[in-house]
Amino acid sequence: MIVESLYALMAPFSLLAVVIGTVSGVLVGGMPGLTATMAVALLIPVTFALEPLTGLLLMGGVYCGAMYGGSIPAILLRTPGTPAAVATALEGYPMTQKGQGGLALKVSVIASFVGGTFSALVLLLVAPILAKFALTFGPPEYFLLALVGLAGIVSMADDGSSLIKALISGLIGLILAVVGTDPMSGMLRYTLNIPDLFDGIAFMPALIGLFSISQMLELTGTGSIVADTSVITQIKREPMPKGLGKFIGTGSLVGTIVGILPGEGATIAAFLSYNVARQRSKNKDLFGKGNPEGIAAAEAGNNGCVGGSLIPTLTLGIPGNSVAAALLGGLLVHGLIPGPELFTKHGVMTYAFILSLFLANIVFLMTGLFMAPYFARISLTPTSLLIPVVCLFSVLGSYAMNNSILDISVALICGIAAVFLHKTGFSLGALILGLILGPIAETGFAQALIMGHGSYSIFFNRPQSLSLWFIIFLLLIPPVYQSIKRYRSRPETEVPCTET
Amino acid sequence: MVLAFLLYRSTAAYPDSVQGSTAMYIRFLAVSLGLLCAVETGLWLKSREKEISEKLNITAAPMRFWGLFIELVIYSLLLEPLGFYLASVLFLPVAMVTQGAKKPITIGLTTAGVLLFVFLVFEKLLVVPLPERLWF
Repeated sequence: MIVESLYALMAPFSLLAVVIGTVSGVLVGGMPGLTATMAVALLIPVTFALEPLTGLLLMGGVYCGAMYGGSIPAILLRTPGTPAAVATALEGYPMTQKGQGGLALKVSVIASFVGGTFSALVLLLVAPILAKFALTFGPPEYFLLALVGLAGIVSMADDGSSLIKALISGLIGLILAVVGTDPMSGMLRYTLNIPDLFDGIAFMPALIGLFSISQMLELTGTGSIVADTSVITQIKREPMPKGLGKFIGTGSLVGTIVGILPGEGATIAAFLSYNVARQRSKNKDLFGKGNPEGIAAAEAGNNGCVGGSLIPTLTLGIPGNSVAAALLGGLLVHGLIPGPELFTKHGVMTYAFILSLFLANIVFLMTGLFMAPYFARISLTPTSLLIPVVCLFSVLGSYAMNNSILDISVALICGIAAVFLHKTGFSLGALILGLILGPIAETGFAQALIMGHGSYSIFFNRPQSLSLWFIIFLLLIPPVYQSIKRYRSRPETEVPCTET
Repeated sequence: MVLAFLLYRSTAAYPDSVQGSTAMYIRFLAVSLGLLCAVETGLWLKSREKEISEKLNITAAPMRFWGLFIELVIYSLLLEPLGFYLASVLFLPVAMVTQGAKKPITIGLTTAGVLLFVFLVFEKLLVVPLPERLWF
């Protein structure tokens, strides 16, 4: 069956579909406000006119390409093309400022390729077994998984003082995430009777404001993004830094596992991988200042999510995330029902689709490696032209998600607030982490307490929960210990650091 | 701390059915925020003399910083009455001049290029809805 699938994939029209899908995905992912979900959803009606396999290949290519594409503006402009690229922006943009934008892009594309290929391999080999494992996760485990992610806030602190600021930032994010409809009772909370807030504060406009608009405001008064333009000549031939393998490997594994869990997304996968890398790194001090290890882990993590999210989608019909949900829609309109039949009766098509993910990864690897030096030149554009153009796309991206002018206001408020928070030493990364994980944490917490009849023991009485507590413990102890140690060894006269 | 207090108080209005679940979660957030803000305030009071001068320096170019922000606010307000293209034709050149661009040809070509790109990719290819004009 695999051989037949390979034949089907090698047909010229199929190959063309993968290439077009992947390149389009890179472009869509690279534009703030245009997400992979949107692109796949837009493609569904187009695929009606195509053969089912061609349509699937097109959608798969877009998914893979968009996941990588989001990292390009994140690295060069601190404007994440997709929410999953936020963690990449934390390390990528400082590298661009140091004239290492080309290297950051190279690390990003290679890590994305490895993460994507690893997850596609897992999808090909052990999809049904892993899908059953994912179903053993219940609300207590989802709450604890959110806590695993939130543990990253502690790592974003630099010293005793900013540890508190990072925690406050994370809490502000969690509090912003409670705006909207109560997941248990359906009651509206803190919405000021504005219909656009009934579903909560839109995530993408907030993200665009916090990262993109704030960065453009901070760039006013500078000539270009790169502080020292003389170093930019090195970008073309800069070799890959050594020792990134273990971070890419960890990111791939974390991304695939998180991707398998229904409802979890690439953003969480990227942040978790980033946090684990931060803990394992020998260069912890370089994190937040342009460490390629962070990019490697985050990108391997979010691309690892691609194959992972397709495991429950194809085997159980439960989409791993929103893009997989859109892709599931594409499967269903062609009469392909997820389940055992997909791997037997429609096996040729299913395996051709899975194999096409490997091809899509190769396509974006080639595109990324070839284009990296050219993309990197964006950082040399004079800010007098760059700032208004990026602001226009930021406004457009904020509007495009829900066609809401209010979302533009959200982005602008978040943008100006982010400048003040950043200047006063609060962590934007922690805030966004709180905003992302808030709904998962709240729903998991509330549902678990209902399941446990109000008893907190439900968070401790299952093996999966205990494993997650152990991971949380491992992630929290080193940074807390380091923070306390730094705070104690700090000279009395020193002013607490404000940068996180 | 005020936010923490208000958040804590707001949970009293939650239905009884969620007092042990989501209301509990929000109370936990409020208490944590209050405690952390209290600690942070204590630390800030201890070292405020040295920090104040740094924190007030929000930007090196206040005119460009606030100019851009005000332009963005006006741009977002004009999007619905004027529509995307007309509002952008006004916003882009004004913002470029505010940020120090001087060559009219560069400003004109960049504006035209960006809007053409949006028209072809966003509107025609991806069929992304753009703000439409209401006035005329």
